[in-house]
Amino acid sequence: MPMRRTLGYGALIFLTALFVAPFLWTLITALKSEAELYAYPPVFWPERLRWENFSNAWTALPFTTFLKNSMIVVVLSTLGQLASSSLVAYGFARFQFPGRDPLFILLLATMMIPWDVKMIPLYMEFNYLGWINTLKPLIVPAWFGEAFFIFLLRQYIMTIPMEIDEAARMDGANAWQIYWRIHLPLMAPALVLVGTFHFMNAWNDYLGPLIYLNDQTTYTLPLGLALFKGLHEVDYISIAAITVILCLPPLALFFYAQRYIMDNALGSSVKG
Amino acid sequence: MKRRHLIIAPAVLTAVFWGGMGLAQDKVLRFATWDSDESLAIQEAIAKKFEEANPGVKVQVEAYGDGYDDKLTAAMGAGSPPDVMYMWNFPSYKEALLPLNDFIARDGEAMNLADIPEGLMNISKIDGNIYGMPAGFTTQVVFYNKDMFAAAGVPEPQAGWTWADLRAGAAKFRNADEKVYGFAVDAKPDPYDFEQFLWSNGTRYISDDGKTIDGLMNSPEAAEVLNMFADMIKTEEAVALNIGDDTSGSALFKAGKIAMFQSAMWSKSGIDESGVNYGVVMLPSFGGKPVHSAIGASAVSIAKDSADPELAWEFVKFFSSPEAVAMRTNDLPVRTSVAEAQGMQDDPIFKPFFDMLAVSNKEIHAFLKNAEWGRIQENLAVAIEATMIDQGNAQAHLDEAVAASARFLK
Amino acid sequence: MATATATRRPSRRKARGAGITPWLFISPWILGFLFFTLGPLVFSFVMSLHDWPVVGTRTFIGFENYTTMVQDDPQFWKSLWITVKFGALFVPLNIVLSFLLAVLLNLNLRGTAIYRTAFYLPSVISGVALVTIWAWIYSKEYGLLNYLLSFAGIDGPNWLGDRTWAIVAITVASLWGLGGSMLIFLAGLQSIPKELYEAARVSGVPPWAQITFITLPMLSPMILFTLITSIISAFQQLTIALLLTDGGPVNSTYFFAMYIYKTAFRFHDMGYAAAMSWVMFLIILALSMLVMRWSAAWVYYEGQARKDDADA
Repeated sequence: MPMRRTLGYGALIFLTALFVAPFLWTLITALKSEAELYAYPPVFWPERLRWENFSNAWTALPFTTFLKNSMIVVVLSTLGQLASSSLVAYGFARFQFPGRDPLFILLLATMMIPWDVKMIPLYMEFNYLGWINTLKPLIVPAWFGEAFFIFLLRQYIMTIPMEIDEAARMDGANAWQIYWRIHLPLMAPALVLVGTFHFMNAWNDYLGPLIYLNDQTTYTLPLGLALFKGLHEVDYISIAAITVILCLPPLALFFYAQRYIMDNALGSSVKG
Repeated sequence: MKRRHLIIAPAVLTAVFWGGMGLAQDKVLRFATWDSDESLAIQEAIAKKFEEANPGVKVQVEAYGDGYDDKLTAAMGAGSPPDVMYMWNFPSYKEALLPLNDFIARDGEAMNLADIPEGLMNISKIDGNIYGMPAGFTTQVVFYNKDMFAAAGVPEPQAGWTWADLRAGAAKFRNADEKVYGFAVDAKPDPYDFEQFLWSNGTRYISDDGKTIDGLMNSPEAAEVLNMFADMIKTEEAVALNIGDDTSGSALFKAGKIAMFQSAMWSKSGIDESGVNYGVVMLPSFGGKPVHSAIGASAVSIAKDSADPELAWEFVKFFSSPEAVAMRTNDLPVRTSVAEAQGMQDDPIFKPFFDMLAVSNKEIHAFLKNAEWGRIQENLAVAIEATMIDQGNAQAHLDEAVAASARFLK
Repeated sequence: MATATATRRPSRRKARGAGITPWLFISPWILGFLFFTLGPLVFSFVMSLHDWPVVGTRTFIGFENYTTMVQDDPQFWKSLWITVKFGALFVPLNIVLSFLLAVLLNLNLRGTAIYRTAFYLPSVISGVALVTIWAWIYSKEYGLLNYLLSFAGIDGPNWLGDRTWAIVAITVASLWGLGGSMLIFLAGLQSIPKELYEAARVSGVPPWAQITFITLPMLSPMILFTLITSIISAFQQLTIALLLTDGGPVNSTYFFAMYIYKTAFRFHDMGYAAAMSWVMFLIILALSMLVMRWSAAWVYYEGQARKDDADA
């Protein structure tokens, strides 16, 4: 047993180093001078930590505006994703109805459509609706559920024993009440997971904003970041600095959210 | 009870967004650019000037950066392009662009078109239609680090030098421990720029009628060019760029890792900032054959679907006016008068760029000759890259590219 | 557990399940499908039957795009093969590694919260930045990896510039983001009743057998999920390869999705791109259907166990 623990710690520490090293490298790069960037052998500790690189990068472009736009998109679309995906997943997981299985296959199929060809027709549609150069194309679709999350939640619900529903039904609860009072709380870990994933996807999304947004007042953070990468010249230090800043909110969210995904006493409470 | 929230929320959101749209009283002109950073700031300044001169007009500058082509493709495919946009790939987009011939015929005299070198006007001309006005340009030159040359005791390059001169000099800078090289070879060059070397060696990618590549793209002269660059990598006279990483030549030049660097205006401001003591010289020739440069021009075009082509034209006119051209310090002035007024042709740093322009008006870039050039170029790029990686064998790779491209020439 | 509940089989299920209720629950997705997916889907099929430049004249050409692809376009087959190779590397590794990491983290060693965050860290880095980081690491001359290897006396290869190594390097860079799958497994592990392990331990079942006979079956719905979504993401792999190698060296990482992307956005041949998209779509769909069918043999749904009995 102690042997297993030691091995476990050893593996964890080694892997942690592997996963964290590139991020640390980015952080260090953000603090370098331009000369140190391409020095060889690589500079592991800059002569002077240039923290001003962060504020310089942030003020080089209207990043505060980008941040505001990103926040609007991320918060509103995450709310929509949670509400819609859990409803739909519950519908697929807990009911028998004609056409359910073909519909579910159709749902899965929507994940498989290559993005490239959907984009121009979607652009035309959003253009017709007058949504181009607004944040709506990035928010509204999330309120109609995304296949990836519906599938995930459906799989999760299906690991929950049916007799829990039965018992509630015996007590006179209707389908909505079973969803709201029983499954939503039971799904909490998976919901937090969906929220975390969606938050991160929306936060980092580059192509969607690139296609649907036109001028800088509507840009989100990843678009701002990409502006450091011109056609010919790339501002690596600013990219590194903004990358570090961009990682912090999802990371903080995750650090906070993980106990709801993992340390929940769900395992015993369900079966108890 | 709780369920209602789900239904209300989207409604509230919608209201919030419609409310936030604001009241647009100004006439808005959308202007799209691929530039970022300083060059973008310059264009914003030009747009501001235009707004001052035209009250009630707002120019919305849209910077798409690296994603320019994706964004423009989507917008054009869906029928809502910006009114005025940066343009270089005229063959691909020309159906969506407004030919400017009528406007030019009307206002040409006032615009003093004779002031713009013909080589620059050719860039946006297809079948006699002019699809864009040049706004800025660059030719290709070699930057060299004067301090490194002095330290190594190598004489500085002079106009009229050859590739043999460059190679002999480059060999003297190699230092394996410090990872220092004399020159940098882009192993995955943009074929657009790369064609200058074929021109300078007496051949070209594709015939002027756009129908033949066999015997040109894979001619012995073309293979000789590729093999020469591959050999420079092999002998370590040059570091290979762009095989597998995006280490840029300008970054290495700024860090003193390479003594010579072939590039264009877009590298200059970065090098200035780095404080490297540098000089600029014309491209070397192939054993005294006439040397040519690729011309990178930014032109501005008007969308066919623009709601207000007259206003768009006013903006384009302003963009190529001496006043605006003089503001563009990040590329070269398309107007001879502006270049003269700033004494550029006598400035040792700028002179080589203009010297290159003077000898580069005879060839037409391949993409203007064949609509399927994008596909052919893909095969060509592979042949160049394969030659650099294999450090030779150009003829076989080029023959393969020609064979694979046959189906696009039918 | 399943046998115990099976005896209390309810008979009113079917009557209850029918009606409008399930449709109300799934209505958001149905509406979303009608608004945002069906139209583009039909449109792209129509596109695929045309010579459709982004701008300019569109010509109806029937199935010519499809026949060209199969008969005259070697790049189509090459790209498809590269994608299959990548999938064969990426999908199993992604599932096995994220599963092992999840089990490791589930031991609840001290500091687990920190490790979990560490493993998830790469997943929060956006595409553009992620690629920049890997470019620094892989660079032959100035890269971190070869610098570290040089201490071991190894002259590292040009990771992204070598025809064989490039696809491996891209696989590793893609696997670096396996924090997502790991989390899915971790969440799944939480719903396994602790009593099962307790009982196994009391009866002297060794740890490896606990994993085989308890963890794997109980986690199988999540494994199915990860399997299908990994296949999809393997086929749709674009950003990392596009920004890291742009298909090179010598087209050795010219993925199928990249070919579609370039056909649409560089060559502006929307009709051909749409046709290739449909082919890709059908391939993924066929693979997923096979996996779904096969999954009946190994996926165990606690919440469905009796329903199949009831329907039988």
